[in-house]
Amino acid sequence: MQQGGNAERQAGRRTILKAAGASLAVAGLGATATACGGGSGSGDGTVTIRYSWWGAEDRAERINKTIALFEKKYPKIKVKTDFQPYTDFWKKFNTQASGGNPPDVFQNAIGFLRKYDAKNVLLDLSGQVDAGNLSMDGFRAGLEKFGEIDGKLLGVPVGSNSMALVIDKPVYTRAGNKPEQGWTWDDFDEAMTKVRDRTGRAGDSGMYGVMYLYDLYLRQNGKAFFTEDGLGFTEADLTTWWTKAEKGVKSGLFADAKKVAQIKPKSALSAELAGSEFTWDNFTVRYTSEGKSEYGLAPIPTTDGKRTGQYLGSLMLSGYKRTEHPKEVAQFIDFMVHDPEVAKIMGYDRGVPTTQAQYDAYRPTDPVNKAIAAYEESLVEAGVLEQITPHPNGADICEAAFLRIAEEMALGSRSVEEAVEQFFTESKTALAG
Amino acid sequence: MGSAVTHAPALEGRADPEPRHGPVKSPRPAELKRRGRRENLAGYLFMSPWIAGFLLLTAGPMVASLYFAFTDYNLFDAPRWIGLDNFSEMFGDPRWRHSVRITLWYVVVGTPIKLIAALGVALLLAQKRRGQAFYRAAFYAPSLIGASVSVAIVWKAIFSDDAVVDRTQQLFGIDAGGWTGDPELIIYSLVALTVWQFGAPMVIFLAGLKQVPRELYEAADVDGAGKLRQFWNITLPMISPVLFFNVLLETIHSFQIFSSAYIVGGGAGGNACGPADGTMVYTCYLYVQGFENSRMGLASAMAWMLLVAVALVTAVLFWSQKRWVHYEEGGR
Repeated sequence: MQQGGNAERQAGRRTILKAAGASLAVAGLGATATACGGGSGSGDGTVTIRYSWWGAEDRAERINKTIALFEKKYPKIKVKTDFQPYTDFWKKFNTQASGGNPPDVFQNAIGFLRKYDAKNVLLDLSGQVDAGNLSMDGFRAGLEKFGEIDGKLLGVPVGSNSMALVIDKPVYTRAGNKPEQGWTWDDFDEAMTKVRDRTGRAGDSGMYGVMYLYDLYLRQNGKAFFTEDGLGFTEADLTTWWTKAEKGVKSGLFADAKKVAQIKPKSALSAELAGSEFTWDNFTVRYTSEGKSEYGLAPIPTTDGKRTGQYLGSLMLSGYKRTEHPKEVAQFIDFMVHDPEVAKIMGYDRGVPTTQAQYDAYRPTDPVNKAIAAYEESLVEAGVLEQITPHPNGADICEAAFLRIAEEMALGSRSVEEAVEQFFTESKTALAG
Repeated sequence: MGSAVTHAPALEGRADPEPRHGPVKSPRPAELKRRGRRENLAGYLFMSPWIAGFLLLTAGPMVASLYFAFTDYNLFDAPRWIGLDNFSEMFGDPRWRHSVRITLWYVVVGTPIKLIAALGVALLLAQKRRGQAFYRAAFYAPSLIGASVSVAIVWKAIFSDDAVVDRTQQLFGIDAGGWTGDPELIIYSLVALTVWQFGAPMVIFLAGLKQVPRELYEAADVDGAGKLRQFWNITLPMISPVLFFNVLLETIHSFQIFSSAYIVGGGAGGNACGPADGTMVYTCYLYVQGFENSRMGLASAMAWMLLVAVALVTAVLFWSQKRWVHYEEGGR
C-alpha cells in the first residue's frame, strides 16, 4: 500500500500541475493566437477576405446569399464568413485582434469604435473613399457621418434603427392603451398599470437595465449616459431611476426578474411575461418569429411631451487596419451598402438600409417590416431625431455592468444604494482602461 | 519529474547481445559509456515531442502568466509593470470576494456529498448480485458524459421555470419558480450536477472495497460486530487511502469548476455567470476579467491565486492524512 500512497501523491501533484496549466493557458492564448496571419492571395490573383459578424441562423442564410452575389460580381474576391451570437462575437474578436489576426472586414457598432480605434484595430476607410473603391454618396439623412470619429472613417453604416417600445398588440388593446407620439412617462406608467390590472401580465420586461433607454431619458433632461471620456450623469440621477424601478418590480409593474433570467436568450415579451419591452425597432422581426402574438411599435415616452432624445443607431461594417487587402475590403463594403439586390435579400434584418438606393429597392410587404418602416418615417416626420452622443473607450463594459447590476437590484440581491455604488465603481475602472 | 525520465530504457538487464553463445563477457567501460549515451539519446529523441510540448504549451505560458500577473495587460498594448496592484485590486473587489465565497461553498458542500454518494453506491454495487455489471455501467455513465456542454444545457432546462423540477415541486405545494433564475438556488443545481457525476470516485471506491480482506469481516462476525460497526472499524480504515485519494482529487476538481457554471448560469446576455452572479465561481470571474474585460494581467494574477490556494488546500490534506489514513503495517 505504501507504493500506492506514492502513486497517489504523484497523481495529486500532477493534477495540481494540470490545474495550474489550465488556468495559465488563459495567459498563453495571447501568445499562441499570433501564429496564423494573412497570406491569402493565390497565383491567379484571387484574394480571400474574411468577414465575420454577429447574429443567428436566419441572418446567416441572408448573408450567404448576398455573398454569393458579391462573388459573382467580383470573381477575383472570395469571402470566408464566420458568425457568433453578440457577446461571443466580441470575445472571439478580441482574442483574434490582440493576436494580430482579426477578420479583414466585420460587423461593428457605435460602442466599439473608440475602443478598437484606441487599440489600432480599425482601418481608416477615408483613403479608400479617395481612391474610389468606396462611395459615401447616397446615404439617407446624415448617416454617412455615422462611422466618423476624430476625422477618421472607421465604419460604414449598413442598417439604421432606433429605440422603440415594442408592444404585444392584443395585450395593449385589451388593456385599453393607445400610445401616441408625445406621451409622457406618467402616461406610460399608467399604461403599465392597466396592463398589469387588466391582463394579469407585467407592464414591462425590465427597462431599468437598458442602457440605451436610460440614455434617452437622460437626454430628455439635458444630460446623457456618456460624455466623450466618462459618464454624463450622477449617482443621484441613477438612484432616482433605480428607486422607481425597484418599486415597480415589487408592485408587479415589471416582469419577475427571476423568470426573465430563465427564459434567456428568449425575450420576456415573446415569452409572454410582459406587455412591452424597450429595444431596437428592428427586433420586432425577431420577436415575431420567437413569439405567438402580434407585435407592434409604440413611441418612446417623453418628459416634456416633445423631446424623445432619440437618434439613429446603426450596425456598421469596418475593416482591419493591417489587412492585406484594403481595396477588396472597401469594394466589399461598397457592394454591401449600395447594391439594391442586397437590400432585397437582407430586408430590415439589420435595420433599415442606409443608402437611398437600397431603401428604395426594398419595399416591405409584410406587416412587421411595414410597421418598422412606418415607425422610422414617423420619427422623421415628428422631427425628434437628434445626434448620437459619443461612446468612450470602455462603453461596452459599462453597458454590460449596467444590465447586470440592474438585474441584481431587481432580483433583490442588491439594494438600490449598493447597486448605484457598484455601477459607478465598475464604470470608473472600465473607462479608465 | 526530471529524474524519472533520465533513466535509460529498461534494457540494461540484457546488455550482452548474444548471451547464449559462450560465457558472458562484461563489456569494457568505454563501450558501456558509449552505449549508454546512445540509449540516452534515443530516449530523449522519443521524448522530444513531449518535452517540446511541455516547454511551449505549459512551461512557457506559465512563466509568461507569472510575469503578466504583475502587469496591466489588455492584450493590445504592451504589458505595463504595476507590481502588486492586481493583487490589491483583487482583494478590494467585492465581486472577487463573492466568487471566492461561492467557490469555497461549492467545494465544501459539493465534494462531501458527491463522495458520500459515490461510497454509498459503491458499497451497494460491491455485493454480488444479478445485473451487477449493468448497474455499474449505469451509475458510471453520467461521469463520462458529465463534462460536456450538452449535459449542462439539459441541466439548465431541467431546473428552469416551469420545467420538470419546478413542476415536481409544485406537486408538493412549493412554488419556487425554477432554480436557474434564482441567485440563491442556482448554485444548488450545480451541486446536484456534480453529485450526479459520482461515477469516477465510485469506481475507485469499488476497487478499494475489493482489497479489503474477507477474513476481517469473518473475524468481526465471530466477535459479534454488527454491520455498522464493521463499516466503521474495518471498511473505512481499510479504504482510507482510497478515500484520501478521492477527497484530494475531487477537491481539486471542484475548485476548477467552470463549464457547468458558465452554461447553466447563462453564458449569454448581460450576465456571464448566473442571475446576480449566482454561479460566479472563481474561474468564471477569471474568464470574465480576461476575455470580457480584456484584463489579462488581472486574470493571470487570479490564476496564480487559485494555484496557491489549491496548493495550500492540498498541503493541508496531505498533512492531515497522518491522522486518518491507515496504510498497512510495513507496507508492500
